[in-house]
Amino acid sequence: MRRHPWLLTLLVLALALALPACGGGDDDEGGGGSTGGGTGIPEEFAAPTAPPEDAQPGGELTVIAAEDIDYMDPGPAYYQFTYMVTAAAHRTLLGWKPDDTTEPSPDLAAEEPEISDDGKTITFKLREGIRFSPPVDREVTSADVKYAIERGLLPGVANAYLPSYLGDVVGFKQALKQARENPTGGAPDIPGIQTPDDQTLVIELERPTAATVIQALSLPISAPVPEEYAKEFDAENPSTYGEHVVFTGPYMVENNAKGELVGYKPGREIRLVRNPNWDPETDYRPAYLDAITIREGFADTASASRRILNGSAQVNGDLTPPPNVIQEAAQSAEPGQLTATPSGGNRYIALNTQAPPFDDINVRKAVVAASDRVALRNTRGGELVGPVATHYIPPNFPGFEEAGGVEGTGADFLAKPEGDIELAKEYMRQAGYESGMCEGDCTVTLVGDGASPAKETTAVFEDALRALGFEPQTRGVARDIMYTRFCGNPKAAPNVCPSVGWLKDFNDPQSMLQPTFSGDQIQPSNNVNWPQLDVPEINEAIDEATLIADPEERAKAWGEIDKMITEQAAAVPYVWDNQVNIQSADVAGVINLFNANWDLAFTSLKAE
Amino acid sequence: MLRYIARRLLWAVALLFIVTAVIFVIFNVLPTADPAQLRAGRGASVEQIEAIRESLGLNDPIHVRFARYVEGVVTEFDLGRSIFQNNAPVRDIIFDRLPATIMLTVGAAILWLAVAIPVGVISAVRRRSLLDRTTMITTLTLISAPVFWLGLVALYLFAQDVGVIKIFPGIGAYSEADTFLGKVGAMILPWIVLASATAAIYARYIRSQMIEVMGEDYIRTARAKGAPEGVVVRRHGLRSALTPVVTLLGVDIGTLLAGNAILTETVFNIPGVGGELASAIGQSDYELIQGIVLFGAFFIVIFSLIVDVLYAYLDPRVRYS
Repeated sequence: MRRHPWLLTLLVLALALALPACGGGDDDEGGGGSTGGGTGIPEEFAAPTAPPEDAQPGGELTVIAAEDIDYMDPGPAYYQFTYMVTAAAHRTLLGWKPDDTTEPSPDLAAEEPEISDDGKTITFKLREGIRFSPPVDREVTSADVKYAIERGLLPGVANAYLPSYLGDVVGFKQALKQARENPTGGAPDIPGIQTPDDQTLVIELERPTAATVIQALSLPISAPVPEEYAKEFDAENPSTYGEHVVFTGPYMVENNAKGELVGYKPGREIRLVRNPNWDPETDYRPAYLDAITIREGFADTASASRRILNGSAQVNGDLTPPPNVIQEAAQSAEPGQLTATPSGGNRYIALNTQAPPFDDINVRKAVVAASDRVALRNTRGGELVGPVATHYIPPNFPGFEEAGGVEGTGADFLAKPEGDIELAKEYMRQAGYESGMCEGDCTVTLVGDGASPAKETTAVFEDALRALGFEPQTRGVARDIMYTRFCGNPKAAPNVCPSVGWLKDFNDPQSMLQPTFSGDQIQPSNNVNWPQLDVPEINEAIDEATLIADPEERAKAWGEIDKMITEQAAAVPYVWDNQVNIQSADVAGVINLFNANWDLAFTSLKAE
Repeated sequence: MLRYIARRLLWAVALLFIVTAVIFVIFNVLPTADPAQLRAGRGASVEQIEAIRESLGLNDPIHVRFARYVEGVVTEFDLGRSIFQNNAPVRDIIFDRLPATIMLTVGAAILWLAVAIPVGVISAVRRRSLLDRTTMITTLTLISAPVFWLGLVALYLFAQDVGVIKIFPGIGAYSEADTFLGKVGAMILPWIVLASATAAIYARYIRSQMIEVMGEDYIRTARAKGAPEGVVVRRHGLRSALTPVVTLLGVDIGTLLAGNAILTETVFNIPGVGGELASAIGQSDYELIQGIVLFGAFFIVIFSLIVDVLYAYLDPRVRYS
């Protein structure tokens, strides 16, 4: 999962308070838009997903952000805001066009990858004529992609998602071991990644998990890295390639003759300029802008947002406008300045299924039934921050409709979004509490994010616990501590983790459900299966579903798994998030639905 | 005097070592989160986290890690690498932020002294006058106003980008300015905001010092000898009253350079050490926090040393004692 899910929190809070009062006309600037079924986004705030027909080339764009990207190096990059930069500056094997929602499009690859009949071999043919930015300058070959993936195993690069999604590549585990034993001895060879010629990349798998591997290769890990240039930086721990990255996309970070990124001042500024070696004939990106400056450190999001709305800056990066500013924007800004996009994320309250009292499924169902999920969602904002979740796969996602869509899976304990206390008491009785209320030791421990709005969400959930006779003992801590010390550490896990949620890695339900609900994924630290759900039937179904390649079959299988997980009442799902973005009136911004943020390679400035 | 300086220097070195040890223990023995896990990212496997831990030497005994850290600091001024900012060296991040912090601190110090000294002196000389009462009420108000609130009010009133009366450059103007003069312009509001509360404190301090000094026998003697009142106040009164202010000024400048201008830098998005510290705390970037705290301690110790030496120079009784 990418870092900073709190961004979603802020965004949702902002959007919720603002949008109910929104008016505004149609956005006729963008060539497309997306509201999507079940997302709750009004048409006037639909995200533009194509540039206007009269899009103007030229000009410089200013993006403002609160924090920095995580890594400039595409190897460890794993953050929504970072992807905004990598999507404009790197070419990955597959990429996400602004309106792509289910399948990525060939980018560095010349065409869709070829999958063998047994689903164990993937063959990519690379496009010709793609060159690295200065000082490397040479043409990209398949060996550069192989090296990019292999270096991701080095502890000094440490890509976080490779083992999850490419763990079935032949020789992967041995290579990981080799990298651990010799962290500065060069990238380990993964025998299952072969390069028969400069334009061909073949990936051999131990199991037919091609569908997942292909989606994962749309992430920055498949952006090519020239070994002869990068190996001296990768010999350090941590790698210093991030200070010397070369690019293949239409933009590059300004650098000097040695390749040092003089245009990147961590925490302050990123200056993107045109990549002189980029050939528009080889790319689907129009790349209208001449240069892009990302200014960071705008911690006060209210004043920063006002700068954007009044034209002192042009689009938001990682920052989310606070509710009062969105309210102003909704009332007085020009059409199109405010947009909302389904983020592909969810939020839920995890119940620890491995310890009393929530090791009893009936107690869990009781607590879920007693929860007012509308009130929980409203702590993040209001009706339009996103629909009240009824299961885990979010709207506009493969498997969403198969799992029951907005209506839900049919689970009675989730049927009433405002809560059903009578049903809750009935489940308590089934759990052995004759009065329908907890008896005896009813202490329930909660460890949540101590900051707003998460602490308000926790407070609402405490009411549901009290309504069933439980005595909540809540501890609010910093978000990182909550994850590393408590919720991600099964030995120290509390009964309830009320401040968790998941953001997709890519548009495949496996990336939503496997890490978070498969018992096989529970690990002694950094665990993200927060409810510690370990049901053999679900684990088995997940294992089988990972091997399905056909998109329809796959969506159906994961939809069924979502139903099985939901039936376990391991958590209280309460919102599928939407994300809000803002732009100044002189910008014809385009939102990339995959990243739910501005696509800098499609955004342009309006003619004066 | 030289022996005094040498003694103070040795103390400063010892103090820095102790500070380093305490900071290291806080961030390495009692960490609130696992640095290897933070670097690996959420979702990373246990094997990956262990590999990072091993490769960074986090499994080594604490004394080995401390020795390695001290060696890095002493030989290369290596303060480690940021976990979240592109693995950038902490040293480079601090040096990159330092010019903005120095500019903010020096400008604000000049401003608060320029305001506090005359206000303090006039209030002391004209005690209980309308002027005295007005300035003291004003200073009390300024002391009570939180810097971040004052900063936001200043921005919404006077900033060119988000203000009602668009006079001064606004948020992020320092980074956007290409010239020195542009950066000076961008600092006007932050200087005023940062100097306001401090000027108020200094004015009250100088006033009380002046009141005390002006009651001394030698002031009466000066007056009895027929010295004009202006000369008595400036030469005999103010000079004595300002001596303890030097101590205060040294410590204040040291702490501001150490990152204590955190709120002003954050509100105005000035890329200084304080703003960086705020960001690092927000991200639990422990190596960066540790580096900035150590660097700040270094500044405070150095400025304390300078103040001590200066004080000893101004008042020989200090060095003899």
